[in-house]
Amino acid sequence: MDYFAGIDIGSTAVKIVVIDEDRQVIGNKTAATGALVYKNAQTAFMNLLGEIGLERKHISYLTTTGYGRKLFPDADETISEITANAVGAREVGKPFGTIRTIINIGGQDSKGISLDENGNVTNFAMNDRCAAGTGRFLDMAARNLEIEVSDLGPFHFKAQGTPAAVNATCAVFAESEIIGLLGNGHEREEIVQGIHFSIAKRTIRLVKRVGIEELIYFDGGPALNTGLVAALEDELGRRLVIPPLPQITTAYGAAIIGLESHGFEKQERAEVGEAVVVFSGHGCQGCSCG
Amino acid sequence: MNIKTYIDRIDLRRFRFWFQLATFALLVYGGRLAIDLGNSLPTFSCGYNKKGQAGVCYLLPLQHQLAEPWSQLFSPAGLGVLGGFALFLLWFVVLNKAWCGFICPLGTIQDWITSLRKMLGIRYSTYSDEQFKKLSLIKYVLLLALIFMPLAIGGQFLSHDWATPYCQICPARMIIPVFNGDFSQWMVDFSSTGKMVLTALGMFITGLFLIGSFLKKRFFCFFCPMGAFHYIFSKLSLFKLKKEGSKCTVCGDCYRVCDLQIKPIADNVVKKDILMDDCILCLKCVAACPEQGALRVELLGKTVFESTKDGFVKRMGLEKKE
Amino acid sequence: MTVEQHQREIETAQHRHARHQGMEAGEVLDTVEKAFAGNPQNMQYFYDLFRDVYCNGIKPHPGKEMIGTMCVQIPDEIIHAAGGVPVRMCNGFYTDEEIGGEFMPAKSCSLVKASLGMLKSETNPYSDGIKVIVNPTTCDQKKKAAGMMREMGYNVYDMELPPVKESEEGREYWRRSVRKFTHEVGKLTGKKVSRKGLKQTIKTVGLAQRAYHRLNNLRKQTPVPILGKDIFMVTNAYFFDDLERWTAATEALCEEIEARVAAGHNAAGRRSPRIVFTGSPPVFPNLKLPLMIEQADGVIVADETCSSNRLLNDMVSVDEWFMYDMVDAIADRYLKSCTCPIFTMNDDRIRRLIELYRSFNADGIVYQAFAGCSVYEMEQRSVAKAMEKEGIPMLYIETDYSPSHSGQLLTRIEAFMESLKARGRHK
Repeated sequence: MDYFAGIDIGSTAVKIVVIDEDRQVIGNKTAATGALVYKNAQTAFMNLLGEIGLERKHISYLTTTGYGRKLFPDADETISEITANAVGAREVGKPFGTIRTIINIGGQDSKGISLDENGNVTNFAMNDRCAAGTGRFLDMAARNLEIEVSDLGPFHFKAQGTPAAVNATCAVFAESEIIGLLGNGHEREEIVQGIHFSIAKRTIRLVKRVGIEELIYFDGGPALNTGLVAALEDELGRRLVIPPLPQITTAYGAAIIGLESHGFEKQERAEVGEAVVVFSGHGCQGCSCG
Repeated sequence: MNIKTYIDRIDLRRFRFWFQLATFALLVYGGRLAIDLGNSLPTFSCGYNKKGQAGVCYLLPLQHQLAEPWSQLFSPAGLGVLGGFALFLLWFVVLNKAWCGFICPLGTIQDWITSLRKMLGIRYSTYSDEQFKKLSLIKYVLLLALIFMPLAIGGQFLSHDWATPYCQICPARMIIPVFNGDFSQWMVDFSSTGKMVLTALGMFITGLFLIGSFLKKRFFCFFCPMGAFHYIFSKLSLFKLKKEGSKCTVCGDCYRVCDLQIKPIADNVVKKDILMDDCILCLKCVAACPEQGALRVELLGKTVFESTKDGFVKRMGLEKKE
Repeated sequence: MTVEQHQREIETAQHRHARHQGMEAGEVLDTVEKAFAGNPQNMQYFYDLFRDVYCNGIKPHPGKEMIGTMCVQIPDEIIHAAGGVPVRMCNGFYTDEEIGGEFMPAKSCSLVKASLGMLKSETNPYSDGIKVIVNPTTCDQKKKAAGMMREMGYNVYDMELPPVKESEEGREYWRRSVRKFTHEVGKLTGKKVSRKGLKQTIKTVGLAQRAYHRLNNLRKQTPVPILGKDIFMVTNAYFFDDLERWTAATEALCEEIEARVAAGHNAAGRRSPRIVFTGSPPVFPNLKLPLMIEQADGVIVADETCSSNRLLNDMVSVDEWFMYDMVDAIADRYLKSCTCPIFTMNDDRIRRLIELYRSFNADGIVYQAFAGCSVYEMEQRSVAKAMEKEGIPMLYIETDYSPSHSGQLLTRIEAFMESLKARGRHK
C-alpha cells in the first residue's frame, strides 16, 4: 500500500493530510505555524505519522503547498495553493457534483478560483495584500468583542435587529470601528452579523472577477464559521458547498497531486526505462491519467 | 537555395525593368517582324502605331464595334462583338492587372519618366485623401463614355465625328507612334467640331500626361478606363493578389511604395483578395513588405511570390556590411 | 563616539547612489547568470556589459555627446545620422524609483519615477554628457515629465506624437514632427543630416534589426534554445550600447544559438509552458517577472514590449533614396505599426499578440502592468476579452519595482504555469 502526504503551510496554520492509494484520508492534523515554520511543520508531520502508525519511509510522495511550501527540503514536489485547492475541491466536491467556483478565505488571504468541467483552473483572483476579509480579521473582531472565534457562528444567528454596517477597508481600522459601534450601544450579535456581511461582500467582489458559476465550493478555516457561510449565501443568493473539514481541502489536494505525480512517474519509468530523469519540483499535476 | 527562396529574394525592380523593356520592344516594334497578336489585347498596344504594332489595344475595335448601327449590332451579326470580347477576357485572365504593371507600353513610358525624375533628385508628389477620393471616379466616367458615346453614334444620336472618342483623347495615340518616328498624330483635326474638340483635348491630355508623369508615379493609370474595365473582371483571373491580415502589422510600407497610393493594401486586415481597382499589380508592395507571408501573388491557387523577411532584408541592402 | 567612528568618512550622496545601484544590479545579474544552468557563452558579453556600466561605474560613451530618448518612437536613424548617440533613458532601478517618488505623485508609474529619479542623481551612466533629452508626447506621465526634467536643468525637446495613428492627419502630423526633428537635431549636434549619412544609418540600424530578427526567430523552435531572460538582456543592452558592437555581439550569439538548435538543445524544462510576455516593459534591473516566470519552469518565447520586441521589430522601407522619402519612411516606421497603448485604438496590439501566440507556438500570455500606468491597466480589459474569445490563457499582474510581494507574485505565476501544464496534458 502506498501512502501520500500533502502539507499546506499557511501563514497562520499548518494543515497535513495523509491519504492511501484509494484517495481515502487516513489522518489529518492542523497546527500553528508559529515563528519556526519548518520546525513546527516537521514536528506536526511526525506527530501525525506517529498517530496513524506510519513512518516517514512509508510516504511514497510528499507534496507541499502554501506560503511556506519551499521550506521543506525533502518534499518531492511543491505546488501553488491555487492548484492544490482546485484539485482538493474537485475531489471532495464529487458527491455534490462538478465544482466550478471556489471561494477560499484563509488566515491572511482570500481567493476566488474558477474551474472548467474537468476541474482545471481557468482563472483566479487573490487578495493577499490586505487582511480585511480574512481569518485574521475575524480573530481580531472576536477578540474585540470578547468572544471566542467559535462563538461567531452562533452569535450571527442570535441577532435580532438590523446588522450593524462595518465599512472600514482595513482590518486595523475596522478595529476602531467595532469599538465605536459597541460604544454606540449596538448589540454584539448585530456587530458580528455586520462583520460577516462586510467580509462576504468584499469576498464576492473578488470572486466576481473570475466569474461565479455553480457549484460553488467554500473552504479555508473560516468556512467552519456557520454565520459567515450564511452571510455569503445571502449576499450571493446561492447555496454553497461546504466540506466537512474545510481547512484541509488544500492539503488534501496536495496529497492527491502527489498520488497522481507518483503514478505518472511510475508510468514514465515503465515506458522509458529507469534511466528517465524525473523532473522534480514542478512536475505535472491535477490530471486524471492512468 | 530552392526555387521558392530564389523568387522570394528577387530584385523586383531589376526584373521588372527588363521585363518591361522586352514587352515594350515586342508591342511597339513587333509589327516590323510581322508579329500579330490580334485585336483584343488588354493593354495599350496602340492601334495607331501602324509601323510597329504587334497587336491592337482592345478599346479601339470595341469602340468601332459599338458604333455600328443598332440594327446590325443587336442582330446575330453582332455576335462577332462577343467573340472579340471573349478573346480579350482570355488574354486578361492569365495575368490579371499585371498587364498594366509589367506590359503596358504607356505604363512603361511612365516608369521611365519616373526614373528620369529620380535621376534629377526631384521629389514625387502625392494626392491627399480628399483629392484621391474625388479623382478616383474619373476612370469610371471615361469608361462609361467610351461605351455609351459609340452606342449613341450607332443609334444616330451622335455623328461619326465623335467616333472612337476615347482613342482621340488617349495619350498613347500621340506618344507611342513617336517611337517609330511617326508624328502624324500630333495635330488638331479642324475638319469638324466633334473632331476638333476631341483632338484638342487629346493634345491637352498628352501634355498633362507628360507633366503629370514627371511629378507623380504612374500618373495616368489612376485615370485609365482600361484599368477600370479590368477591375470588373479581375475576380475571374487566375492570377491573384492576396493578403493574410493576421500577419500584417499595418506598418504601411506597402502603401508607402505604392505608385497608385492604394490605402486598403495596408489598412485592411480582413479582406483576403486585396487587388483594388487602381492596382497595376506591379508587386512593389509585396517586395516592400517585411512580414513573412503577409502579401502574396497566387497563380491558380498556388503561391508564386510572397513577402518574406529574408527577401525584404536583401532588397533593402542589409545582407552584407559595407 | 569612538576614535574610529570619528575619523571615518561618511559616504557622499553620489557614492551612496552608485552603491545602491551596484547592489541592485549585482543582485539581478547574479540571478541572471547563476540561477540558470547552461547560459550561452556569447551572452557573457552582455552580462559583462551590464556589470561594467552599473556595478563598476564604467561610462558607456565616454567623451561623446548623448541624446537621451524617453520612448521607443524617437527615430534612432536620424540621431545617428546627425552624429549623436541615442541613449534610451527609461530606467528600471528601484533605487531610482524611490528618489523619483520623492517628487512624483504616489500613484504614478514606476518607470517614469525611476527615470526621473535617475536623472536627478548625479551618478548615472550618462551624467557626463546628455546634450538633450527628446521627450515624445506619449503617455500623460511622460508628457508631464518634460516639465520636471527642464526644472532639473536638462535641455528637453518635445517631440509631437499623434494620439490617433490611423488617420491621414495623424500620419501627416508625425511626418512633420520627424522632419522638424531632422533639422533640429542637426543644429544641436552641429552636424547636418545628409542624404548619404541617413542612407548609411538606415543601413546600420537595419543590420542591427536583422541580427535581432535572426535571434528572435530561433525562439520559434521546439525545444527553445534560449531563455527569455537572455533576450531581455540583449535588447536592454541596445538601449545604450555602441550600435555596431552590439550588432556584432548579437550576430555571434545567433551563431551559437543556431548551433544549439542543430544539436536539439533545450534551454528550458521538459514541459515548460511557452509564454508570450506583454505590457509595461521590463527594464534592467527590473527583470523580476520574467525571471520569476523562468524560475517557475516557464519559458518566455516571445514578447510584445517596448524594451524588447517593439524596439527592433519594424524595419524602414524606402522607395526612393532621397532625403524626403527616407525621412518619411523613417517616420512611418515608428508610427504606423507601433502597438504602444497610448493610441486611441488597440486593435493592432491585440492582433499582434494573437499572431505571436500562434507563430511562436505559445501556451499562454503574461500581461504585466505597472501600478499607476493608466494605459496598460485600462487596455487590460480589451486584451483579456480578446484572448478569452480566442481561447488564449492570460495572466494579468499589476506590480511595481519594489522587491517585496515576491512571494505573492510567485504564487500567481506558479499557479498559472501549473494550469498551463494541465491544459497541455489535456490537449
